[in-house]
Amino acid sequence: MRSIFTVCRIELGRILSLKPAFSVLIVATIIYAALYPQPYRTEALRHVPIAVVDLDGTDSSRELARRVDASADVAVAAVLPDQASAEREVHARNLFGILVIPQYFERDLLHNRQSPVALYADASYFLIYQRISGGVTAVAKTMGAEVETARLIAVNVDPRIAAAASDPMPLTAVPLFNPQGGYATYILPAAFVLIMQQTLLIGVGLLGTYRNDALRTGPAASIGPISVVAGKLLAYLILEAVVVPFYLIVIPYLYDIPRLGTPLSIFIFALPFVLAVGALGMVIASLFRNPLTVQLVSAALGIPFLFLAGFSWPTEAMPPFLHAIATVLPSTSAINGIVAVSQLGAPLPYVRQPFLTLWVLAAVYTAIAILLESGSRRRLAAKA
Amino acid sequence: MIGKGRLRPGFLTVFRREFDRLWRRPFLLFLTTILPLLLMGVLAAVFSAGLATRLPIAVLDLDNTDLSRTIIRTVDATPDTAVVRNVSDLAEGRRLILSGEVHGLLMLPIHLERDVLSGRRPEVVFFYNTQTMTTGNLTLRGVSAAVPSVAAGIRLALRTAEGQPVDAAQEALAPIPVQVNPLFNPTLNYAHFLLAALLPSVLQVIIVTTMAYTIGLDVETVHRLRLLRRLGGGLWPAMAGKILPYTLLFLVVLGIADWVLFGFLDMPLRGDRYLLVLAGILFILANQFIGVLLALLLRPMASAISIGTLLMAPAFGFMGIGFPRIGMNAFAYYWGQIIPGTWYLMARIDQTIRGTPIDLSWKPIAVLLFMVLLLASLTALRLEMIRARRQRRMEQAAATGRVAG
Repeated sequence: MRSIFTVCRIELGRILSLKPAFSVLIVATIIYAALYPQPYRTEALRHVPIAVVDLDGTDSSRELARRVDASADVAVAAVLPDQASAEREVHARNLFGILVIPQYFERDLLHNRQSPVALYADASYFLIYQRISGGVTAVAKTMGAEVETARLIAVNVDPRIAAAASDPMPLTAVPLFNPQGGYATYILPAAFVLIMQQTLLIGVGLLGTYRNDALRTGPAASIGPISVVAGKLLAYLILEAVVVPFYLIVIPYLYDIPRLGTPLSIFIFALPFVLAVGALGMVIASLFRNPLTVQLVSAALGIPFLFLAGFSWPTEAMPPFLHAIATVLPSTSAINGIVAVSQLGAPLPYVRQPFLTLWVLAAVYTAIAILLESGSRRRLAAKA
Repeated sequence: MIGKGRLRPGFLTVFRREFDRLWRRPFLLFLTTILPLLLMGVLAAVFSAGLATRLPIAVLDLDNTDLSRTIIRTVDATPDTAVVRNVSDLAEGRRLILSGEVHGLLMLPIHLERDVLSGRRPEVVFFYNTQTMTTGNLTLRGVSAAVPSVAAGIRLALRTAEGQPVDAAQEALAPIPVQVNPLFNPTLNYAHFLLAALLPSVLQVIIVTTMAYTIGLDVETVHRLRLLRRLGGGLWPAMAGKILPYTLLFLVVLGIADWVLFGFLDMPLRGDRYLLVLAGILFILANQFIGVLLALLLRPMASAISIGTLLMAPAFGFMGIGFPRIGMNAFAYYWGQIIPGTWYLMARIDQTIRGTPIDLSWKPIAVLLFMVLLLASLTALRLEMIRARRQRRMEQAAATGRVAG
């Protein structure tokens, strides 16, 4: 037991004194917390500029354009004479959609006919497309319902029944957990888990590949591989006992990201995550053996890992062989589980599967780390 | 000494030497080719379906009538959603959503059919998980296409029952229909939107870090930089000979990624392919010079690689693909402005799915060219500074040597 604490103390000392490890585990952790959320700080896309091509030029067409402009989603930034000039503006990225109100828009409405409008929305950026199509469709629907109700009332239908006839079975959509549909609220809780994994993984990889004289020579050299791995894991747990609350409680609070889960349940879920990542880091260190290799190979892994977690892109749509790759990464289970616990307020029994997966990963990676550690010991002994 | 006569200094000598080195250092070759291709392959596999269909949702049917069953059938029949579970109460639905088994819960209230037919406007409620935004919105799209279409059938029946002719009744249902046309990506294919942007983003991180590494190898040994310059017969040929082999390699990697996109994932190429290649070359060069500069400015090499990772790994968010740049705060907007990938992705989207007219295509390419020229000049300046410093030191050493002698 004492030897575990010795290793732990040595490892904590190295986290603070070994410059590359310190910059990844402490400095990068802080910089990412400040830098990464910046693009999403505004949460929602509002007032996307579009053009209106009004070929009708009547009160009704202007009323439609005015209502579209008044919606929170889109803003009418230009009224252009024809579609071709509007398309050029879209190509130049000055505007992102075109609402064409055809000639005889008002006449058709007054004659009780259907009076369609055409919307062209830039689908090379999906969020922009969603905003424009959602915004304009909602306005047209409201205006259409008013027209329909008015028509029915005009033929002496009871107003209450007229309203029912235009919408007999209204659909109410209730967004759960992120009611404003905020982008930061959506992406950051998942991204923070990934950042914690990547910094810890690279940091442990560096700690394991730089020279470790304190552990290789002197009295500590006789400590067995199990105690070495346990002691190091304890050190990473102590470090992450600061980082986890920072990333999952403090930073979300500072960025106004709602949180439903209790801190305790978040920490319980984070425990096997930290163990799995720490042990995986030790495995990587023994396999790569060179700090530069660790850094260079890990640099670009973040983006694929995030998408493998099935968070931004549903797991159901991925080919099955990827599920196996995704499962061996701690981030996959951790992102799904921690987001469910902290953002959705899921009680632990509901996230049993990712939780148990993380424990299995932690056990397997720790076992491999112990094997590799005793192997490297034997090599050292053979050399000596 | 044997080779000395044959070894003519110049661009080609350095160029060939660099390729030799790649063969002698398989790790460097792995980093520049296999690793990016592997990561891109994983991402391509993730998005290979292009569209996410039949996302699981649950239904709470408290009515259990013909109408409610019609709604469930229609919702199940839309491409976006699949009804996988019938739950008996809200609590069970909540548990399924929290555990991630379903992405939404459709609740059909008791007496739905009776109330609809008597004009009491009962509400159909759809609870959906917006914490996972894409998935949540897709399930909502499915449900909000299906439920109104069932409602439209009822409205039609109400009218025809009152003696309206069917076509007139149909027209009256939606007085102002909106024909929504998705410009540039008509099927809303995620592979053409997100994957096409992710591949260069992964490559960007790799270019910067590996360039910092390979230049760092030269900087860390005392004479290498001088040797390089002598072999190249001057600053510019030496620099070109050192950098271009990697440009070619990365271009091949980017080419393979694009070949998969165009050849297998049906990405359209509506613009000018030469402009696309030109933008690709400039994008690679700009990132290479960032890596080179980091290696020349920061020592040890590990710090240069760390800073390169720190700058480039979070760059994807700033390039405005997921969350558009027009919605960002000022800091994020301008930070995105100085990342080469931002401009490359613009040029890339222009020349692939958008088919932007040539006269509107030049801006991102011109910005990339400016970045390359600026970064190359800075690199040259830095190299001159290093040389001047070394010369001064040598002169000093010579002077002190004379004094001591």
